[in-house]
Amino acid sequence: MPDLFNGKLVFTQIPQLLRYLPVTLELTVAAGVIGLLLGFVIALIRVKRTPVLYQISTVYISVLRGTPIIVQLYISYFGIPIFLKYLNYWNGTNWDINSVPPVLFAILALAFNQSAFMAEVIRAAITAVDPGQLEAARSLGMSASQVRRRVILPQAGVIALPGLMNSLIGLIKGTSLAFVCAVVDMTAAGQIMAGSSYRYFEMYCSLAIIYWVITLLLERVGAWLERRLSVPEQAPALRQVAQTEPEQAQPAQTAPARGSVRRLPALNTPGIATLAGTVAKEVVARD
Amino acid sequence: MISIRNISKSFNGHKVLDGVGIDIEDGEVVALIGPSGTGKSTFLRSINLLEHPDTGELEIDGKTYDLANASKDETLEIRRSTAMVFQQFNLLRNRTALQNVMEGLTVVKRLPKNQAQDRALRELRNVGLEAWADHYPQHLSGGQQQRVAIARALSMDPRLLLLDEPTSALDPERVNEVQRTIAEAAEAGNTMLLVSHEMGFVRSIASRVIFLEGGKIVEQGTPEEIFGNPHTDRLRDFLSSFERYGTNHPGADASRNASWRTQEALREEHEREDLALEAV
Ligand SMILES: Nc1ncnc2c1ncn2[C@@H]1O[C@H](COP(=O)(O)OP(=O)(O)OP(=O)(O)O)[C@@H](O)[C@H]1O
Ligand SMILES: [Mg+2]
Repeated sequence: MPDLFNGKLVFTQIPQLLRYLPVTLELTVAAGVIGLLLGFVIALIRVKRTPVLYQISTVYISVLRGTPIIVQLYISYFGIPIFLKYLNYWNGTNWDINSVPPVLFAILALAFNQSAFMAEVIRAAITAVDPGQLEAARSLGMSASQVRRRVILPQAGVIALPGLMNSLIGLIKGTSLAFVCAVVDMTAAGQIMAGSSYRYFEMYCSLAIIYWVITLLLERVGAWLERRLSVPEQAPALRQVAQTEPEQAQPAQTAPARGSVRRLPALNTPGIATLAGTVAKEVVARD
Repeated sequence: MISIRNISKSFNGHKVLDGVGIDIEDGEVVALIGPSGTGKSTFLRSINLLEHPDTGELEIDGKTYDLANASKDETLEIRRSTAMVFQQFNLLRNRTALQNVMEGLTVVKRLPKNQAQDRALRELRNVGLEAWADHYPQHLSGGQQQRVAIARALSMDPRLLLLDEPTSALDPERVNEVQRTIAEAAEAGNTMLLVSHEMGFVRSIASRVIFLEGGKIVEQGTPEEIFGNPHTDRLRDFLSSFERYGTNHPGADASRNASWRTQEALREEHEREDLALEAV
């Protein structure tokens, strides 16, 4: 049988590839963090419809989502040095443009790309928060920043999470194009190795496995986070509470403070409270 | 005393409120009635500045606020001395019942956590829901959510409690428990401004009833005067629409429980309800 496919090699060369995993992760984490922060700012601009910035953000998002990431990487790789050279020229400075590590160009391009996608996810999540929730918080007397921190952010965060995870998974796969910026990430390293062994098919199989496993792990983390952040599906057990209420035990010699409820004498039947106690006991008994 | 004066508000050139004002004595329960779309909600929401009125003044304990030009700090001050109960409850859905009641105490009043928790549990106990403290809103019935919302509002010691149709989003069998909670809060001396389409409840709980129509106060008086001896044709028409359509207001959702029950009838009902519950 001809030696057309070496199945064993697919697995045995994985450790070699994993030596370049840190580069892939570095690209992902750096571009992900910058993209998230930038995306958040852009989302706020879009929610608030800040004049001028809003129009700019519209174009920005449209261009970055409407052009291939590989083209964006090329533009970053060739364009940023040209831009820096102009800066040198205008300011009469003399920075060494060749000393800029190429990984920076890749990170910037990926981060800008991410920010466009994440901005849309975050904007949609913020506008999806029920206005009634904000009104409730405002009516308590919370300041605008307290409402943002305590209501909008946590609720929008849960809504945005699946979209952000999707975007992140897209980013990881996007890093495989970093070779465009002369960065040797995992995919680039694989291509170089395969170039000398001519085992291209096996190499791409190995890469596919690694990316797939990383994505699987990320999905698990996302699902776990989602579960942690959202309201549990199961109702908790009822609390055990005293059956007689203090207001009943000691009939009104002291007027209760304003702001509390006093049981009406004629309406003073245990009703709900008793039912609560009964159900609580049942729940506990069943456990 | 709380004075609300001269509130006006237009939406897109359409005048919804035209110089409406009322004085509310401490401990008084004022009910606002009137046809749908007549500006009742807008009036309530203008008082705590969830809506921005075109003109209006609010006087609380001798301090006067210009509602149309309130600064940020004044807005917060006004909201901290009033509290609101919404038709849709609006409990924070990512917080338990207890956390919902604690939220204003810790974040706005800045009470230490244990004090806030004690107070919140006391408020929940008062509305009969201490056992449900750890439940999230989605695990509570509408009636229970509204009672938690009332506990949350009362925990802030508001000078004025605003209630906008607190029972009209509830299933009919849940209306009574919430009305009872509100009646108890009134009994405890809370000052309230209530919007309701449930005339039986208004009649039993209000010390004064105000009939609003077309953005103006058309008639006001004690429940006996308003329901027993209406002066204007418009009020008579409005009230007769309840009789004509049985227990329900034509504008309100058809299944709403809005009967002309007296306090007596209410109590009987509660007793029957509780007997039924005990039989469970
Ligand atoms: N944000 C808004 N923008 C435009 N129009 C509004 C707005 N809020 C209320 N309105 C209009 O103002 C009028 C009064 O509304 P409001 O909600 O205050 O009435 P209401 O008396 O509370 O009615 P209901 O009994 O149905 O609750 C209505 O015609 C309504 O369409
Ligand atoms: Mg209304």
